[in-house]
Amino acid sequence: MIELMHRELSASAPVELPTKVAVRNLDFFYGKARALTDVELAIRANAVTAIIGPSGCGKSTLLRTINRIYELYPDQRATGEILLDGRNILDRGFSLSELRRRVGMVFQKPTPFATSIARNVSFALSYYERLSKSEMADRVEDALRQAALWDEVKDKLGASALSLSGGQQQRLCIARTLAVRPEIILLDEPTSALDPISTAKIEELIHELRTSFTIVIVTHNMQQAARVSQRTAFFHLGELVEVGETSQIFTNPRVQRTQDYITGRYG
Amino acid sequence: MILLRRKLIDLLAMLFASAATLFGLFWLVWILWTTLAEGAAAITPALFTQMTPPPGETGGLLNAFYGSAVMILLALLIGTPVGIAAGTYLAEHGRYSRIAGVVRFLNDILLSAPSIVIGLFVYEVAVRPMGHFSGFAGALALAMILLPVVVRTSDEALRLVPDPIREAAFALGIPRWRVTMRILYKSALSAILTGVLLGLARIAGETAPLLFTALNNQFWSANVNAPLANVPVVIFQYAMSPYDEWHALAWAGALMLTAFVLGLNLIVRLIARRTAK
Amino acid sequence: MQHPHTVRAFDQDIGELRGLIAEMGAFAEAAIAEAMRCLIERDVDAARQLVEADIRLDDMETEAERRVIELIALRAPMADDLREAVAVLKISGVVERIGDYAKNIARRVRRLPARGEIEPLSLLPEMAKIASAMVRDVLAAFLERDAAKAQAVCKRDDALDDFYESIFRTLLTYMMENPQNIGPSTTLLFVAKNLERIGDHATNVAEMVYYSVTGERLAEPQREDL
Repeated sequence: MIELMHRELSASAPVELPTKVAVRNLDFFYGKARALTDVELAIRANAVTAIIGPSGCGKSTLLRTINRIYELYPDQRATGEILLDGRNILDRGFSLSELRRRVGMVFQKPTPFATSIARNVSFALSYYERLSKSEMADRVEDALRQAALWDEVKDKLGASALSLSGGQQQRLCIARTLAVRPEIILLDEPTSALDPISTAKIEELIHELRTSFTIVIVTHNMQQAARVSQRTAFFHLGELVEVGETSQIFTNPRVQRTQDYITGRYG
Repeated sequence: MILLRRKLIDLLAMLFASAATLFGLFWLVWILWTTLAEGAAAITPALFTQMTPPPGETGGLLNAFYGSAVMILLALLIGTPVGIAAGTYLAEHGRYSRIAGVVRFLNDILLSAPSIVIGLFVYEVAVRPMGHFSGFAGALALAMILLPVVVRTSDEALRLVPDPIREAAFALGIPRWRVTMRILYKSALSAILTGVLLGLARIAGETAPLLFTALNNQFWSANVNAPLANVPVVIFQYAMSPYDEWHALAWAGALMLTAFVLGLNLIVRLIARRTAK
Repeated sequence: MQHPHTVRAFDQDIGELRGLIAEMGAFAEAAIAEAMRCLIERDVDAARQLVEADIRLDDMETEAERRVIELIALRAPMADDLREAVAVLKISGVVERIGDYAKNIARRVRRLPARGEIEPLSLLPEMAKIASAMVRDVLAAFLERDAAKAQAVCKRDDALDDFYESIFRTLLTYMMENPQNIGPSTTLLFVAKNLERIGDHATNVAEMVYYSVTGERLAEPQREDL
C-alpha cells in the first residue's frame, strides 16, 4: 500500500509517432530579404501541428514551402531540405505534380472555382485519375462526406459553388483537397475569415481528419492552436523559437519569448 | 458661423456640379433627339431591302449593312483570339518581366492611336500591294483598332481573378494551361466578354480607317477582295452631298448605328448585372 | 523581468487579485497575533470580536473566487498567468482556513481560567511567532514570485512540528503534576495543534507558489524520523 503511494506516478509518455515531414536547415528569401532562418522542424504523421507566431514571423512562408507553391513567384526561393518520407521535395527532380497530389492546401479566404459544386470537387480528380461517371460521383460524395458538407449540398450538386455561404465554401475547398486523397493537408489560417459556428465546424472536422492525415495548421488565434493541435511550434522573426506538445507549450513553455507571446506580453 | 459658411459652400458646389451635369446632358439629349427625329422619318422597310441609290433616287442601305457586318465579323475573328491570347500572356506570364511592361505600354499607345493613322498604315501595307481597296483591308484596320481594347480588358480581367484562386488551383497540382483555360477564363469570362463588346461598339462606328481601306461601294457586292459598302462611309458621303434623299438615308444610317451601339451597351450592362449576383 | 501585458486592463485585473491575497494574508496574520494576545491576557471580549470578524475573511475568499473565474472566462489566461490565477484560487481557500484556525484559538480563550498562571502558556507565543512568520513569508514569496523563498518556508515546518512535540510533552507533564491542570492543558494542547496546522497550511501554500512560478512540482522533502 505504501509502496503504491510512494511509486511515482509516471506521466504517460506520449507515444512517439513517426515523422512525416522533416524540415532541415531551411532558409527562405523574398528577393534579397531573408524570411526564414535555419529552420529545423519535424512534423509527426497523423497529428495536427500548429504553427503560431506574430505577423511576419514566417509561419505562412514555411507552410508554402511544403508544397512549393512559392515557386509561382520568381523572386522567392528556398534553400535547405524538406524530407517527405525521407525524400527531399526541394530537389529539382521531385515531381511537382506528385508533390501537390500528396500535399493539399486550404487557404485563408475560401477559393471556390466559378463552377458547380460537384465540378469543383471532381476537377483535380479528373486530371489525376481516369474514372467512370459513377466512380467519379462516388469519389465526390466521399470527399463531401469527409468534409462534413454532403448533407448540406447533396441536393444541389449542380448549383454554383459561389452560392454557398463562407463556411460552406471553405468546407468545399477542404473537400476538393480531400478528393485527390493527399497524405498531408496544409491549412493557412483556414477559419480567420469565418464566423464562430463555421469555425467550430471546421475545427471539429480537423479533429476527425487527423487520424487519417498529417495536418499542419497556421493560425494567429492561439486558442484555436490550443484547441486543435497536438504539437505547437512558435516562430518569431523567421526563427523557430520553441516546439513541443501543445499542452506543455500553453501551460509551461520553456522559452521566455514563447511565454511572452502566449500571455499577450509581446510588444 | 463656420457651419453656415460650410453649408453655403456645400450648396454652391452642388449647384455647380448639377449645372455641369445638365450642361453635358443637354448636348447629349439634343444629339440623340435630333438623330431620332431625323432618322425616324427615313426608316422605311426599303432601308433593309434596297441598295444605296444613285443621286436623286430613293433606296436603302442593305449593301452598307451587309458590308459593315462582314467587316466587323472579320475584325472580331482576327482581333479577339489574338487579343485574348496576348492579354492572357500579360496577366499570367508577364507579371514580373520587363517585356510585359513594354508590351503593355505599346498596347496603350495603340489603344489611343488616331484611327486615321491606322487606316493609313493598312493602306500602305494591304491596299497598295494588292493594288486595290478591299473589304479585307477594312476588316484588318478594324481588327487593329479592336485588338488593344481586347488585350487591355483581357489582361485586367485576368488580373482581377484573385491570386488565392490561382494558388488553390496550382496547389491541387493542375498544370498551368489547364488552370488558365478551365478556371481562370471561367472567372474572368464576363469581364473579357464585356471588353469585346465594348470594342465592337467602337469599331462599328469607325469611319476614317475605312476611307483608306474599304472605301465604299455603290452597288451590291459580297466580294471581300474589293471595295465594300459600309455604313459609316455612306453616312459620310451622303451627309456631305446636296441631295435630300441621301441626307435622309444618312440620318437613317446614323440612327441605326446609334441604336446598335446602344444595344451593345445594354447587353454589357445585363452581363454585368448577371455576374454581380 | 516580466513585461506588462499589451492589454493593460489584464495587468490591472491580476494586480487586484494579488492585492486581495495580500489583504487576506495580512488579515490572517493579524488574527493569529490577536488570538494569541487574547489567550495570554485572557481577554474574552476581544476574543469574541475576533471570532465575529472572521466572516470578513470568508467574504474575501468568495470575492477572490469570483474574480478568478471572471479572469479565466474573460481573459483566457495562458501559461504563467493561468498558473497564477489557479494559485490565487487555491491560496485564498487556504488563507481562509488559516483564519479559521486563528478563530478557533480565540474561541478557546474563555475556557481558560480568568486568573492564575499557567506555566506552559508562555511557550505558545514563540510557536505562534514561527507559524505567523511562515504565513507572512510564504505570501511574500507569492507576491514577489520568488520560488526559492517559497521553498525556504517549507523547511521551517519541521521546526514547528518539533515545537509542537515539545509543548505536547510539557503539557503532559503538567497534567500529570496536578489533575486540576487537565482542563487548561487540553485547551492549550488544542491551541498548539491549531498553530501546527497553520504551519502545515503555509507549507501547502509554498508548494502552490512554487508551481505557479516555475511550472514544476516541489520535490517531497524526506524526513528521517517518519
